[in-house]
Amino acid sequence: MARAARFAVPAVVLAILLFVPRFVSSYKLLTATTVLCLALMAQGWNFIGGYAGYAAFGNVAFFGIGAYATGLLMLSRWHLGFFPALAAGAVLAAVVAVVVGVPVLRLKGHYFAIATLGVAEAFREVAASWDSLTEGATGIDLPVQSSGQFFYYSALALVAAGVAATALLARSKIGAGWVAIREDQDAARSVGINTTLFKVVAFALSAVFAACAGGITAYQNIHVAPDDFFKIEYTLQMIIACIIGGSGSVWGPVVGAALYQLLSTYVWSHFLELHPTVLGAIVIFFVIFLPRGLTDLFRRIAQGRRIGWNVLLANVRASRLT
Amino acid sequence: MSSAELSQIAVNALLLSGLLALVAVGFSLVWGIMNIVNLSHGAFIVMGAYLTYWMHELLHVDPFLSIPVSMAVLFALGYAVQRTVINQIMRAPLLATFLLTFGLEILIVNLLNFFFKADTRSVTTSYSGTGFTLGAVRIPYVRLFALLVSLTLVLLLGAFLNRSRLGRAIRATGMDIDAARLTGVQVGAIYALTFAIGSAFAGAAGSLLAMVIPFDPNLGGGYTERAFVICVLGGLGNVVNVLIGATIYAVVDVFVASRLPQLSQAVTFALLVVLLIVRPQGIAGRSLS
Repeated sequence: MARAARFAVPAVVLAILLFVPRFVSSYKLLTATTVLCLALMAQGWNFIGGYAGYAAFGNVAFFGIGAYATGLLMLSRWHLGFFPALAAGAVLAAVVAVVVGVPVLRLKGHYFAIATLGVAEAFREVAASWDSLTEGATGIDLPVQSSGQFFYYSALALVAAGVAATALLARSKIGAGWVAIREDQDAARSVGINTTLFKVVAFALSAVFAACAGGITAYQNIHVAPDDFFKIEYTLQMIIACIIGGSGSVWGPVVGAALYQLLSTYVWSHFLELHPTVLGAIVIFFVIFLPRGLTDLFRRIAQGRRIGWNVLLANVRASRLT
Repeated sequence: MSSAELSQIAVNALLLSGLLALVAVGFSLVWGIMNIVNLSHGAFIVMGAYLTYWMHELLHVDPFLSIPVSMAVLFALGYAVQRTVINQIMRAPLLATFLLTFGLEILIVNLLNFFFKADTRSVTTSYSGTGFTLGAVRIPYVRLFALLVSLTLVLLLGAFLNRSRLGRAIRATGMDIDAARLTGVQVGAIYALTFAIGSAFAGAAGSLLAMVIPFDPNLGGGYTERAFVICVLGGLGNVVNVLIGATIYAVVDVFVASRLPQLSQAVTFALLVVLLIVRPQGIAGRSLS
């Protein structure tokens, strides 16, 4: 029964999502595509941040690299189609992640977080100053593709693939290795896990997902400029989406991305000027009361457990200073 | 480069280093004692700047005299934040406090933007533009006073931590929380006190910054980054480490700014990343990672 539900629920959700473009306006479809791109980025961050427990604060670098690579490869010099260009961008981002990751992933905790933040900032400056390739601060213009459905279905296919990949990896040896690294890296190493390799793989995977989201967003926006595609807000959004959905879970990033968009839209329309305040408060709320996110809450409900204030207080009881 | 230019750079670096030490010392204390990288530190600094600004604007209080008020207000705020919020997740994984203080930073900066708008402000007094020259080197009074106040405050904090009973309780809690508890230290209150002191020093730094540079609500993030770099450069553990880190940072920053102004941020960050990789324990301190 539970096993059947595990496949039936995603199938139903996917079926509904496949028919969304028939019923909504093109503006709403654009929003839906934005949510899917955020879900993609969050799925990527989930590997390194959720499973391996490394607080990567610079994943927007891969989003930007994917966007620029896709755009540049589609332009006059190479004239590639969108999908080959997107794939090349994803490969490039993975290569960059390996090159950057080997030294940076040696750092732990706060040091890793700040180093990745610095790396992302460095890429923004490179994109803004490498005039001969990226046209500097002006940015590049892509060919026009006006079909909203094209972007929606591309992003949906990638998110669905991401869910499947996360589910498979989480059950595999590598997923177990990531969790072992997250819980205790020294212990993981002592039982023979090649921690460097596992961490680099997680980082490269996170780069691939962010790059795909970047490529789609670039093609949809037609224009790629350094300040729009290397902004730290993207890093924050993917982390927030992961946390509120449930990091280190298969569905967390997707649920979190959808919820983030709903909350964000609601807050925008009701508290325009205090939008960041409300989002900041939401982050604080989830960190304190629901650090395992909403999917954990859904799981408890599905298991028939009673849900009350005790759920919120359980984490405080477990992690407060005694 | 002429020797006059060089000595001006050296003096500028010296004047900057004191201020930066004050910017970083509270951050370093909170990190060293509680292992919290307080991403809202810069927002606390900006609150201090606004307190000084409004006291000068509305009550005509001399900005130097408003420093104790900024410190007191932010001390109280910091105590409340640690006691009621951060203490609730002190045993959670590292990422939790990182995200929590990050949420706090977004919230404070947005509220400042909401109430005071994003306008750039500065505190201008009768002695603001004045200074004296020493040979070929020009020294503005405000920056000199700011240096003296900063150094005094930093050294006072060092003396408090090393000599007083309460300071020793703070350091003991940072070294081994269970042992400290066994000797009767109220660790919950000590953590709140530590964060409160960190916030008070952020407030003092903000008050001084308001006098020497124009500011707006979004200034804080840059100072959180600087505080982080200074802590990495100098290492954690003592106010002397902060002074070393701040001096190195100030020299690099002033020098790069005079040669390659457009790249100052990138060079500083590159320096940081290389240093982190080569020497994660900092140049002069013990490792806390």
